Amino acid sequence: MATIARPTDDMPRPNIAKAGLQLPAVKDYEQVDREIMATLRPTKGWFAALTIAIVCLMIGAAAWTYQIHEGLGVAGYNPPVMWGVYIVTFVFWIGIGHAGTLISAILYLFRAGFRTTIYRCAEAMTVFAVLTAGLFPILHLGRPWKFFWLVPYPNWRLLWPQFKSPLVWDVFAISTYLTISTTFLFIGLIPDVAVLRDAEKNPIKKQIFSALSFGWRNSEAEWRHFARAYLFLAAFSTPLVLSVHSVVSFDFAMALVPGWHTTIFAPYFVAGAIFSGMGMVFTIIIPIRKFFKLQHYVTLNHLDAGAKLCLFTSMVVGCAYMVEFFIGWYGAVPVEQEYWWNRVFGQWWWAAWIMLTCNMILPLSLFSQSLRRNPTWLFILSLFINLGMWFERFVIIVPGLSHEYEPWQWSTYVPTFVDYSILIGSFGWFFMWFLLFIRQLPVIAISEVKEIVPPRLRRVHPYAPAPEGEFASDTPGAHA
Amino acid sequence: MSQDPSDTAVSDPKPGVRRRDFLKVVGVSSAAVAAVGCYSDKVEKLIPYVASPDNTVPGVSTYYATTCRECAAGCGVLVETRDGRAIKAEGNPDHPVNRGALCGRGQSALQGLYNPDRFRGPMTRESGKLVPVTWERALQLLSQKLGEAKSKGPAANAVFINQHEQGSFGAFLDQWLGGYGMPAHVSYDAEAPLSTIAANRASYSVAWPKLDFAAAKVIVSFGADYLDGWGLSVTQQLDFAEARAKLEGGPKVVYIGARRSLTGLNSDTWIPAKPGSEKGLADALLAAVTGKGAGALTAAAAAAGVSVASLESLAKDLQSAKPSLLLAGGTGEDGTALGTVVNDLNKALGNVGVTVRPSDSSLAYEGLSSHSAVREAAERMAAGQVSLAFVRGANPAYSLPGGVKFAEAFAKVPFKVSFSSYPDETTDLADLILPDNHSLESWGDAEPAKGTLGLQQPVMDPVFNTRATGDVLIAAAKGDAAMASKYPAADYRAWIVARAGGISAITKALPTGMMSGSPLAAAAPKPVAAKSAGAATGDYFLHVYSSPALGDGRGANKPWLQELPDPVTKIAWQTVIELHPETATKLGLEEGELATVETKQGSVTAPVYLFIGLRPDTIAIATGRGHTSYGRYANGCGVNPMTLLPVGEDSRSGAVSLVTKASLRKAGGATRLITTEGSGRQHGRGIARALTVAQLVAGDTKDEKETFVGQASNDFLPGLRSPVANDAQGDLGDPKSKDHGQYDPNHWSGVAKRRWAMTIDLARCTGCAACVTACYSENNIPTVGAPWQGPRVLPDRTGFGANITRSREMAWIRLERYFEIDREPKDVAFNPEFDTRVIPMLCQQCGNAPCEPVCPVYATYHSPDGLNVQVYNRCVGTRYCSNNCPYKVRYFNWFGYGEPNRSQYAFPEPLNWQLNPDVTVRGKGVMEKCTFCVQRIKEAENRATLEHRELQPDEFTVACAQACPSRAIVFGDAADPKWSVSKMVNDERAYHVFEELNTYTAVVYLKKVNH
Repeated sequence: MATIARPTDDMPRPNIAKAGLQLPAVKDYEQVDREIMATLRPTKGWFAALTIAIVCLMIGAAAWTYQIHEGLGVAGYNPPVMWGVYIVTFVFWIGIGHAGTLISAILYLFRAGFRTTIYRCAEAMTVFAVLTAGLFPILHLGRPWKFFWLVPYPNWRLLWPQFKSPLVWDVFAISTYLTISTTFLFIGLIPDVAVLRDAEKNPIKKQIFSALSFGWRNSEAEWRHFARAYLFLAAFSTPLVLSVHSVVSFDFAMALVPGWHTTIFAPYFVAGAIFSGMGMVFTIIIPIRKFFKLQHYVTLNHLDAGAKLCLFTSMVVGCAYMVEFFIGWYGAVPVEQEYWWNRVFGQWWWAAWIMLTCNMILPLSLFSQSLRRNPTWLFILSLFINLGMWFERFVIIVPGLSHEYEPWQWSTYVPTFVDYSILIGSFGWFFMWFLLFIRQLPVIAISEVKEIVPPRLRRVHPYAPAPEGEFASDTPGAHA
Repeated sequence: MSQDPSDTAVSDPKPGVRRRDFLKVVGVSSAAVAAVGCYSDKVEKLIPYVASPDNTVPGVSTYYATTCRECAAGCGVLVETRDGRAIKAEGNPDHPVNRGALCGRGQSALQGLYNPDRFRGPMTRESGKLVPVTWERALQLLSQKLGEAKSKGPAANAVFINQHEQGSFGAFLDQWLGGYGMPAHVSYDAEAPLSTIAANRASYSVAWPKLDFAAAKVIVSFGADYLDGWGLSVTQQLDFAEARAKLEGGPKVVYIGARRSLTGLNSDTWIPAKPGSEKGLADALLAAVTGKGAGALTAAAAAAGVSVASLESLAKDLQSAKPSLLLAGGTGEDGTALGTVVNDLNKALGNVGVTVRPSDSSLAYEGLSSHSAVREAAERMAAGQVSLAFVRGANPAYSLPGGVKFAEAFAKVPFKVSFSSYPDETTDLADLILPDNHSLESWGDAEPAKGTLGLQQPVMDPVFNTRATGDVLIAAAKGDAAMASKYPAADYRAWIVARAGGISAITKALPTGMMSGSPLAAAAPKPVAAKSAGAATGDYFLHVYSSPALGDGRGANKPWLQELPDPVTKIAWQTVIELHPETATKLGLEEGELATVETKQGSVTAPVYLFIGLRPDTIAIATGRGHTSYGRYANGCGVNPMTLLPVGEDSRSGAVSLVTKASLRKAGGATRLITTEGSGRQHGRGIARALTVAQLVAGDTKDEKETFVGQASNDFLPGLRSPVANDAQGDLGDPKSKDHGQYDPNHWSGVAKRRWAMTIDLARCTGCAACVTACYSENNIPTVGAPWQGPRVLPDRTGFGANITRSREMAWIRLERYFEIDREPKDVAFNPEFDTRVIPMLCQQCGNAPCEPVCPVYATYHSPDGLNVQVYNRCVGTRYCSNNCPYKVRYFNWFGYGEPNRSQYAFPEPLNWQLNPDVTVRGKGVMEKCTFCVQRIKEAENRATLEHRELQPDEFTVACAQACPSRAIVFGDAADPKWSVSKMVNDERAYHVFEELNTYTAVVYLKKVNH
C-alpha cells in the first residue's frame, strides 16, 4: 500500500494507476484538455435531456406535495404492506451509490487500471444517488416535516432517538456516506478544477473554480499531499462501502418479518449494491462516451473489464438468492417456507422471476467476450440490471410484509400513480444533478488520464531511445 | 398609529418614526406573527359557565339509564354523557334483558342520534320538493288534514305504520287514532321472527318463552339464528356463552339449515338441510324420538339432502341427553308449521318448563303486527282506498319484498305524513315530515320482564329541531275540541310520568331505569290473511337472511355498522352473493366476479363471495344494504335482496317468506371484495386453538400446534412471562441497573406494581363483534370505508373507497374467523363437517414487544405497568412498528380522518359530538393501536387516589370487555392475585398466540372446546 505514492524511478509521478493501460488514440495533453473539456459545452441534446429530467422531477415534486397535503393514503399502501415503492426505491438508489465508491476507492487501492476513465462518472453517480436515496426515508414518513426527530440533536426535553432502531443507524450510515463520498469527489477534482480555472474566461466562474481547486499550483508538494489525501480517503471510504449497505440491510434483517429476518442480508445487500451500481455505471457511461465521442477514452477494454466485474457480482448475488431459498426451506420454519413458496411460485412469482431473470440469467451472457465488448448489449443489459435490482428490493420488502405470521392479515400491494410519479421524480432528480454536473465539471478525470498518456517532452534527446510503452522517465509535474 | 397625548406633550423636534413607536410596532407585529405562525387553528376562547348546570362537573361523565330501541328486544342501556353530550352507550348491568352487555347495533344508536343526515326540522312538500317549515306551520297542516279526514269521513281508511317497539306508545297511539276515528296502527318490524312467535303462541300461549341455554345438554336450531339477531340476541348470547363456558358440561350444539350462519358456525354439527325441508326433518325427528317411526328419518334425510347418520345420531342424542333445547326460526311459508312441530318436540322431550319456560316469557313482541298487515295496507293504498297515511320509524318501502311494490302504493296516497328521524325510502315519498326525536332524546317505557317497567328517558337535549311524536300527537289533539279533554297531560313526558305514578316515583326509578309496573297494553292486532307466492322457478334456492349488523337495513346509515365486517362473511360496505365454491366452479365464477340473481320478481347483480358453509344448491344474500335514500353512508352501497322476493307469506303468521327459487348467471366483470379477510384459514399456525371435550377431560391440553417440526416449544408457561419491570427498553429493565425509575416495583408511585393483562375465552366468544363497535365508540376510531374517503385524484376504479379496498380499516380489535380446512376455500368440495374458530385480535401488549425497539423516535415504548404505549405526538410515521408486529394490530392514519375540512373526515358534524373527550383524535400520518383503554385505567386510578384508597380488584374494565355479550373478555391486573384475570391466565386452556416468538404477550387466550 505504502508504495503507491512513493516516488520511485519507474514511478516518478504520484497517483499513477499503473495497469499497463493504453489509450492509443489519445496523443497528448492538449488533446485531453480539449476533448474532455468539450463535454462542458452545452448541446441541444443536453438541454433536451435536462428538460426531461426537470419535468420528471416536477412530476415527482407535484406528487409529493399532493401526498404531503392529503396524507400517505394517496400512495398504494395496503396494510400490512406498510413499506412499498418508496423504501424499495430508497434501497435501490443506495445500492447504486455503491459502485462509485467501489470503483473510485476499492479499485484504486487494488490498482485496477480500468477504473481511470470511468471513476469520475461513477463517483458523481454515487453522490447523486445517495442524495436521491436520502430523500426517500423522509418522503415515506407519515409526517415528513418531523424527520429531524431521527437526528440526535440536543434538546431541553432530553428526548433522544431510539438507538436500537436500525432507522437511526440509517441516519448515521447515510449521512456519513454522503459526506465522505462528496468529500472524495471534490478532493479528486482538485487538479481538474485547476485546469478548468486556467482555461476559464468568465471571472465569476474563475473565482468559483479557484476556490474549488484550493489554489492548486501543481507543485510537487501539492501532488504529494494530494496523493496522500486521496489515498487516505480511499482507505476511509472502503469500509463504508461495506458498512452502509450492511446497515441498510439491517432495516430488514433486524425485523422479525419472514423473509427479512436473515443473517445473509448484509453481504447479500453489499453484493447486490455493487452489482446494481455497475449496471447504473454502464447505463450512464455508454451514452456519455457515445454522445461526447469519448470512445477512445472509455475504450472497449474498460467496458470489458467492467462487464467482468458485473458478471462476478451477478454470480455472487445469484448465489445469495440460492442460499436464501435453500435456507428458507432447510430452516424448516413453516412460516418461512410458506413465505418463500408464496414469493417464488405464488402471489409474487412475477416479481421474483423478473428479479431472477434480470439479475441471474441475463448477466450470464457476459461470459461471451463479444457481448462484453458490445456497448449496445451492455447498455440494454444494464437497463435490465437496473430493473432487476429494483425488483430485488421489491421482492424482499413487499412479499415479506404481505405474507407474515397472521394469515388473516395477508394482503397484496398495488402502487398508485403517486408512487410511480415519485419514482419517476427520483430519476428526474438524479439525472438533473448528473446533467448539471457533466456540464460544469469534467466527467473524465483529466489529471488521471494525463498520467497514462505520453507527456509532451520539452525536447527530444537525440540519443534517447524512441519512447515506447511507459513514459516513465518524464520530468515530474507535467503541466496541468 | 394613534398619538398618545402624553407623548405629544413632550414635543419631538425630529420628524418621522420615533423610537418608542417603532418598538411598539415591531413588538405588536412580531407578536402577531408569532401567534399566527404558531397556531394553524383559529384561537378559541374557553368561557366558564356563569351558572353551572346541576350535577355537571366538567370532564366528569354522567350516566343515564334508558332503553335501547335499535331492535325490539329493549335492552337497558347506560348512556355516558359528558358536558351534555352522549358519548357512549353501555349495557345496564341491572337490566334483566342484557345484564350489562350490549350488541354492536345498540351501541351504534349514538350514530343514529348524531347522524349527519337526520332531518333538521319539519318539512313539507311544495311543488314536489321538500322544504323546511316551522313547527307551527307543520302542526297547523297536520291539524288541517286531520280535521278534513275526520269531517269528510275518510279517517276510517287512514293507515299508521309504526316501527314496532315495546311499551305504552302503541296503546297511546291507538287511543289517539281512535279519537279521530282512525283504525289501530300497524306495528311493523321487518326482522321480527313472526313464525316463531306464532308457533309459540299456538304451543305455549306466549310470544317468547324464556330459553334456558345453560340448562340444555343438546341445543338444536332449525334455522333459528339466535346469535345473529333472531329474538333477544343479547340475552341469548349471554346464556349461550354461559352454557358453552361449562366446557365438558356444556351443550352439544346442532344447527339445521341451508346456510351456516354465525349461529351455525358456533354449532358443533351442521346438518345442511335444503331450504323448505326443515319441517320434514322436524316431523321425522319427532317420530323418531317418540318411537313412532324411526324409519321416517331416512325419507326425511333424502328429502332434505342430508346424511341419515347425522339425523340418527341427533335423534339418539336427543333421546339420551336431556334436557335439550330445540328452536325453530323458519323463514319459509311453512315457518309456523315448523315452529309448531319443534315445539312439539320440546314437549315430547320434556323440555317445556325446563329449558323452554313460558312462565318467564319476554314481552318484546306484544302488539306486533304481521308483515301481511303492511302488505294488505299497501294493497289498499294501491287501490286508492287510503287517503291519509302515517309512517314512523319503519321503512316498508325498503324492507318489504319487491313484489309488494310498497313505494308505488304509498305514493298514491293523497297525503302522507312521516314521523321518521331520517330520510329513507318511505319518508322520501311523504308530504309532511314531522321528525321524531331520537330514542335517546325521548321519553318512553318498556317491559323487560313481567311486572317490571323499563324506563326510557332523554339523555340529552335534542340535537336538531325535532319533536317527540307523542308530543306532536298531544299537541294535535289539543287543537281538536273533541279530543282536547282526553289529553290533560302537557306532553308525552308528562303522560309517561303520570302513568309511572308521578314525578317522585319516576325520579327515584330513573337512576336504575326500572320500576315495578307495566306499560299500557295495546290490543292484539287483527290477523290478516296471508298470501302464498305459489311455486317459484329457478335452479337454486335463494336464501335471504337478515344481516347481523344492519338488521333489516335500519343500521345502514351508521358508519360503524357499515364498516363492521359481517361476522360470517367478513364483508363490509357491500352486498355479496354467497355461493358454495362448487357452485361457483360449475358456473365458472371466481370470487369477486359479478353474478346476477334473477327471480320472476326482479334481479340483482353483485360480486360473488365463496362460502363453504352453504349448500351448493342455495344462494344466500344478506339484507340491509342497497338503500337509495337513507343518508350518505347507506346510499349506493350494496343491493337489496328484498327486491327479489315475490309476495309470499307464511300462511299462519303472515311473515314474509325469505325463501324462494332463483336463477343465477355470470354477469361479466369483477370488483374487489370489501373484506377484512386475508386468508380464511390458519395454515396450522395455532392462532385460534381448540380442544375436544375428550382431550379436556383427559387433561391433554396439547393441540395441533405442537406437532410442527422445528418450532420452538410452545408449552404454555403459566401466567405471564413478563416480569413487571422487564420492559423492552434495556436499562430500566436491567436487574443490574441501579435506578429503575418508575419501573422499580418499589417506586413510590407504585405504577410498576401492576401488569395490565387480558384473557379471552374462546369457548365463550361467538364472534359477534360487539367488542369492535365498543372499541370504535370508546376510542374515537375513524371509519374509513366511505367511497369519498379515499384519494381525490385518480381514486380507485372500484367505485369504493380506496381505503377499504386496501384493508386500511382502523379496528383496533378485530374478529378473525378461521375455517379449519386444508386448502383454499375455492378448492373445497362440499362437506358440512368443518370447524370454525373465531378469535378477537388486538394489541397483545407484549412484554418484549417487537414494535418498541424499531421505532426510531421512541413513539412507542413500554410503560411501567406493562402497557405498550403509543405516543401520537412523537410518532413521525415510519410504520416500522407495524412491519415488525407479528399480530398486525397497528393501524396507520393514511389520511387526516380527524380534520373537518377534508373529504376523508370521519366525523362530519354532528357525528363528532360523540367523540370521547378522554381520547385523542389522531392526526394524519401517525400510528395508532389498542391502548388497553388507558384512559379508563387512568380514570380508575385517579378516582382511587382521590378517594384515598387502593384500586379494588375488578373495579373497572375496558370497553371491549364491558360490551361483550359473551363475557369472553376479562381484563385486569395480572400481577395482583386478587384480580380475576390473574387466575384466568393460569387456566389449563390458556395459551399465547405465537409464543415461539418470545413476545411475552399480555393477552392470554383460553382454548375453545368442541363437542
